[in-house]
Amino acid sequence: MANPVKLRQIDEYRWEIPQEGKMRTRGLIFASKAMIPKIMEDRSLEQVANVATLPGIVGPSLAMPDIHWGYGFPIGGVAAFDLEGGVVSPGGVGYDINCGVRLLRTNMKRPEVERYIEDLVNLLFRNIPSGVGSRRKDLKLRDATLFEVLRQGAGWAVKNGYGSRADLEHIEASGKIDGAEPERVSQFALDRGRDQLGTLGSGNHFVEVGYVLEIFDEKLAAALGLFKDQVTAIVHTGSRGLGHQVCDDYIKVMLKAAAKYGIELVDRQLCCAPITAPEGQQYLGAMAAAANFAFANRQMITHWVRESFEEVFKLGPRDLGLELVYDVAHNIAKMETHVVAGKKMKVCLHRKGATRAFPPGHPETPAAYQKTGQPVLIPGDMGRYSFVLVGTEPALTETFGSTCHGAGREMSRHQALKAAKGRSIVQELAQKGIVVRGAGRATIDEELSEAYKDVQAVVDVCHGAGIAKKVAKLKPLGVIKG
Amino acid sequence: MKPQSSARRRPVKYRQVPHTADMAWRIRGESLPELFENAAGALMATMTDRRYLRRREKREIEVVASDREALLVDWLNRLVYLFEVDGFWGREFQVSSLTDQHLQATAWGERFDPERHPGKTAVKAATYHHLEIVPQGEGWQATVILDL
Repeated sequence: MANPVKLRQIDEYRWEIPQEGKMRTRGLIFASKAMIPKIMEDRSLEQVANVATLPGIVGPSLAMPDIHWGYGFPIGGVAAFDLEGGVVSPGGVGYDINCGVRLLRTNMKRPEVERYIEDLVNLLFRNIPSGVGSRRKDLKLRDATLFEVLRQGAGWAVKNGYGSRADLEHIEASGKIDGAEPERVSQFALDRGRDQLGTLGSGNHFVEVGYVLEIFDEKLAAALGLFKDQVTAIVHTGSRGLGHQVCDDYIKVMLKAAAKYGIELVDRQLCCAPITAPEGQQYLGAMAAAANFAFANRQMITHWVRESFEEVFKLGPRDLGLELVYDVAHNIAKMETHVVAGKKMKVCLHRKGATRAFPPGHPETPAAYQKTGQPVLIPGDMGRYSFVLVGTEPALTETFGSTCHGAGREMSRHQALKAAKGRSIVQELAQKGIVVRGAGRATIDEELSEAYKDVQAVVDVCHGAGIAKKVAKLKPLGVIKG
Repeated sequence: MKPQSSARRRPVKYRQVPHTADMAWRIRGESLPELFENAAGALMATMTDRRYLRRREKREIEVVASDREALLVDWLNRLVYLFEVDGFWGREFQVSSLTDQHLQATAWGERFDPERHPGKTAVKAATYHHLEIVPQGEGWQATVILDL
């Protein structure tokens, strides 16, 4: 499709969409030259320009190198809005509110685990409900309990025996977004989430056991407790049906609100409300509640990951050393303080398929990482590798402390299924030393490696541009897919 | 259970159209109620293989929305909701009353049983993107993108 958006290269990693027409600011895209043709294939650049037309946008409309088409806002998009006069949009967060990633490290090395990987993956698959319709029969929450989860986030899980207090210090925002208002979450959304806490869901969500394949920065890796050949675990999931329903509910609210407040929309999916308006405040309260559900979800899954390791290796928690390195959200809107044109200001920052990447010394960087910068976790596809990076000062000044979030699809699910036809993806992966279990064959086939862009290229752009720093590369050994 | 052999001779009720991130469906119907029924079929086909579903349970569904397109999205999202809260998947749908803002329908199907039903992909929601209901020949055509 012809792309009417003008694109100008600034340097090796930066591209600009000049401010034109209804745009209130410019667009700034991080990408390599090689990525541009693929990016031009969908209409994501037009979406970067569309976001730039929204009222109260502060700084450029940003896009990370994993940019691709999304509803209204592109995936990989970052946009900050002035609290006075700016807007908040569910499309700037996405359906899966607080979809995110957490990384656990262990005291074990690869050879100790390889022999047992099949048992471990099978047990993880049994302990963590995944796939279409995954729910917990053992844990169906009443409204009152659900409200506690929505208010307290990961803290609720820890209080109820799922993990330790130390975990909370290693989660973005300590596993709880302030200002959650469960009362703003519809009964439909509550019903959808009631028995989904502690479930993986479907699509690109996974739990992965892997190991440290390569270290890029010894000092940083040591500070993050990572060493070569070390066994790791990654959890990637979000707020499940509860979050999806909150998004759906508030898109309807925002379609009306945009008209009510006279916000001109170049695309209906950008529907939004002023942050100060009741509709804006209600969405923020509901979104924070859904985000907290997601933090609690990942915390509980972590508990079952730990239990599964303990059972397979017959080791206690101390010997296993399954500690949380960090947990990041990559679909979220947050109130953050940033320096804009030399002045400190509070903004409503939308990160949709983008990860916070705060530098060393930042007050919101957790105590453990004050010297290194906040860990950034970038999952790849199940056949290749994932990356650990840290946040940087240039990220803070240039992208409101944000960087990429993943690989992004290269093929549609339909194409992927076609490409997988007549092959056994499970066997192919097994030959590469990766054990995969999934609820259905289709989900595994849809997620085959070739269906994704190479995450390495994405990470290299962020590293090269200085909006994150590479620390380590992880390779999967076993994966459970939703 | 085998697919009905007559299915090939009938006009296609729904088909996938290429879309990178999610799943886009083009749906046809001789009437608007049939269009809505076929859209429900497309949604089910996203989540499971419909041939394995049996008529065991019945659900009465009523949806209210601001316009015809929004009604289609809300109808599909209500079915997503029914699946998530009690695992109900419909095999057959009958829209008994339909205006631009109101729909009344009955669904016959059964609850999800992982032993019997292959799970394909979970649907987060039907979306408003590229959402369209247009007259097509003697009937109607809709385009809906599902966020997966």
